[in-house]
Amino acid sequence: MKEMLSEFDDRPAIPLWLLAAAAVAMVVHLYLIFMWVPTEATMGIVQRLFYFHVPAAVAQFTACFVGGVAAILYLVKRDPKYDDLSLACNETVLVFGLVNVGLGMLWAKPIWGIWWTWDPRLTSSFVLLFLYGAYLVLRPAAPVESRGVVCAVVCILGMADVPLVYLSNRLFRTQHPAPVLGGGPDSGLAPPIAATLFFGMFTMMLLWWCVLLVRRRVARLERAAEDLTRRSHELEDVRSY
Amino acid sequence: MVDPNLSWLFWGYAAGWLLIFAYLFSISRKERSLRRKVAELQEAMEERWKQKKA
Repeated sequence: MKEMLSEFDDRPAIPLWLLAAAAVAMVVHLYLIFMWVPTEATMGIVQRLFYFHVPAAVAQFTACFVGGVAAILYLVKRDPKYDDLSLACNETVLVFGLVNVGLGMLWAKPIWGIWWTWDPRLTSSFVLLFLYGAYLVLRPAAPVESRGVVCAVVCILGMADVPLVYLSNRLFRTQHPAPVLGGGPDSGLAPPIAATLFFGMFTMMLLWWCVLLVRRRVARLERAAEDLTRRSHELEDVRSY
Repeated sequence: MVDPNLSWLFWGYAAGWLLIFAYLFSISRKERSLRRKVAELQEAMEERWKQKKA
């Protein structure tokens, strides 16, 4: 028991250097978006949502992959630390996914004139969010002894949807804009737009890492509390005999 | 002239950052309360061990 508790010392879940780096990067990123990068000629000022929408999607997909790999490792090794990491990643998928889809909708209304359309990119993104939502609903409902395995399977299914979301506007004709990076000879970005976008991705990854560390700590504490409660009940049972 | 879509931009950024920071705030609060709960459970367990040994 002492070993279990020693890992929850008073050290903050997020190291100070990471917190400082994320804060500085956020300020620089906001400066780049609102003060530095030129306004895009066709869409105007609303195109600046792109510098938050795409980095949020990158953080979401990274969380899907890290969570999926952690789920596979859990199935192989049955070490609870991988289940905790997978749970932490999957919750961040939903948070960054909601930011991604929400900002996409805010961009769509003035540009397309509609909030939403069921085209392949948007539908596959919706399915992805739905899968991870299902994971979080299913988790507390699953029996404790098989919870990790059931959740790992759902998580791997979620990870399998990510390439479909990514490739949807390459494989199908969609209303969603064509890929601007790696999308063929006509794709590409002007240097200031590309620089702001890549810096945005870097900033969002730092922020995602901060959120992930806190959520993983919460998952480990939840497991420790559950374990201590169970042991306490076992001790009560022994005493009552 | 002010771009008519400026408010969309601000709403978008405000909503995005608010969601991420609200989530971070809620899990930080949860961490603190769980830390307290684990410490209380540990104390209770130690008490019971002492009683059992006695």
